[in-house]
Amino acid sequence: MTYYIFTLVFFLFDYFILAMGLNIQYGSTGILNFAYIGFVAVGAYVTGVAAMPANVTGEHYILGLGLPFPLNTLLGGVAAMGLAGLVALITLRRLRTDYLAIVLISLSLVFYDFCNNDVSLFNGADGLYNVPEPLTRALGLSSNGFIIFFACLTGVVSLLMWLVMSRIMRAPLGRTFRAVRDDHVTAAALGKDTFRMQLKSMLIGSFFAGIGGGLLIQFGGSFNPTAWLPGETFVVFAVLIVGGAGNNMGMFVGALLVETLLVHLPAFLPDIPGHPGLIEYFDLALVGLVLMVMLWFRPQGIVPERVRRTPSFGVSEKPEHEAGRLDRTTALAAALGAVEPAAGAEEGR
Amino acid sequence: MTLFWLSFGFGLVTTSVLAVAAIGLSLQFGITNYVNFAYGDFMALGAYFTYVLNNEVFHLNIWVALALAALLMGGFGVLINRLLLGPFARRFHSTHYVLIVTFGLSLVMLNVIYSIWGADVRFYALPFGVAHHVGPLLLTTNQLIVMGIAVALLVAVHTTLKTTRLGKSMRAMSDNGTLAMTSGIDTKRITTITWFLSGALSGVAGAVLGIGEGNLTPAAGELFLFVIFAAVILGGIGSIYGAMAGAVVVGMSTEISAAFINPAYKLDIAFVVLILTLLIRPNGLIARPGTT
Repeated sequence: MTYYIFTLVFFLFDYFILAMGLNIQYGSTGILNFAYIGFVAVGAYVTGVAAMPANVTGEHYILGLGLPFPLNTLLGGVAAMGLAGLVALITLRRLRTDYLAIVLISLSLVFYDFCNNDVSLFNGADGLYNVPEPLTRALGLSSNGFIIFFACLTGVVSLLMWLVMSRIMRAPLGRTFRAVRDDHVTAAALGKDTFRMQLKSMLIGSFFAGIGGGLLIQFGGSFNPTAWLPGETFVVFAVLIVGGAGNNMGMFVGALLVETLLVHLPAFLPDIPGHPGLIEYFDLALVGLVLMVMLWFRPQGIVPERVRRTPSFGVSEKPEHEAGRLDRTTALAAALGAVEPAAGAEEGR
Repeated sequence: MTLFWLSFGFGLVTTSVLAVAAIGLSLQFGITNYVNFAYGDFMALGAYFTYVLNNEVFHLNIWVALALAALLMGGFGVLINRLLLGPFARRFHSTHYVLIVTFGLSLVMLNVIYSIWGADVRFYALPFGVAHHVGPLLLTTNQLIVMGIAVALLVAVHTTLKTTRLGKSMRAMSDNGTLAMTSGIDTKRITTITWFLSGALSGVAGAVLGIGEGNLTPAAGELFLFVIFAAVILGGIGSIYGAMAGAVVVGMSTEISAAFINPAYKLDIAFVVLILTLLIRPNGLIARPGTT
């Protein structure tokens, strides 16, 4: 029982991290990253091979550094970031919504195909297994103790990452991200390098993906290519949309409702005799349906993005005749492009 | 050299499958202006409809079953547009929403297919294939029929687009939907017909993919999707003739490369083509007017 509860707790916090990463890419900057799970996988794999010793019989993989806990996961995060940088450099400058989504989803499939077939990289279709459980020996934990410990550890990590993410979202950087999302032409006209902004957003989001993936592989001890077909990206999107795109607390609510209650709780149900996997299939189909219903009836999510009030926000609330000419221009710019006026003004102060 | 000609033969089959799939996707994109990410699962559903008609009920001949499944999928396409995608596309100005919905639809469809038919590999009841020598190529009857179907469909689509009133309306809508509407074209009707054609083509493509590969699995369509995307983007997204040309390049290059590299990676060649296209000619071989 404790095992089940803490497994759920782990997935809650881990998907909180993953959803925050996708949230800065899609929710804040408007990059439709359909390859998100690919970056999670890179984080997981690199963490795995960084944690594992040089040689394990029966498995083939690169590196094998035997690094201790925080270092291997950080390396995973950085690796995911590196891949994201590469992908962003090739695609973001040239492509917008549809094309970008196509290329990214293709990338995630190719990446899957490659890791599935190439045994020398990450042990092919079998995936990595026997990834060491971090700090178990140092703390002398039992296997149940490890589950509890690691779920709590993930909670602490997610809290830290939430603090960082909230800071980014409030900072001028976060505001510029939103300006790029709402209207990249206006943002560019105001002197923002939209490509650099999207690149930064991709990097930050992918770091979160990598860390989330790193925690995932260490919790389960194994990771194989079937765990990251495009459907898994969709689960993270469902967390994001249900919770409320653009809002970090929404990610927590989404992770709780979608990942914990909808995806993982039914996984503990016993199989229907004669129909292996049927519950899981129904469950994933249900996730898709929930998302469609949600998008139709409440597209802003359960916890909608807050309208942020910056000093010049009040301009548009003043009666028309009181607002000066300059103020009216700012208000107009705000209304036209929904760019928060303070984004430029504050930096100039 | 024998290996090369063998790959060449497979290339022709893959090209046929790809061309049918790519024009189906392109037709729909041209009219509605968003990509259907569930297209691979449309194909899978078409393949399983064919399977049911061929193996489970009626025990129809595979080609008859394929034709019926295509009609069913056409109806399915119309339903999906009417009940799901159409309303979403009209309601939200940003295409993000409808893209996410098609992505979600793909998850739903894949898992429904898994629930009904399970994860086991299935086989069609095919008539026994006799090998024929066509020049240096060695092809079975079934492979020749697959190619014949593809050529017939391409010619049919071409004739429709160029000579009929319907085709003219479709091309007009693809160029500029608003202008087409103000010129008195019944855009709603054209959209419905397009979805029917797109659905039917996806059904044919899914079934011939299953016939070409010799088996069918629920995820086959989804894994084939990025090969279709490569062909469509290479040709210029939304352009029907571009899609045909793209299908030839991608289909042949993936299969012929299998003679030289590890065949497990042959589909990844499609991705290389995709990336090269984006770097060198992002609008594709034949750019659609009005898109930049």
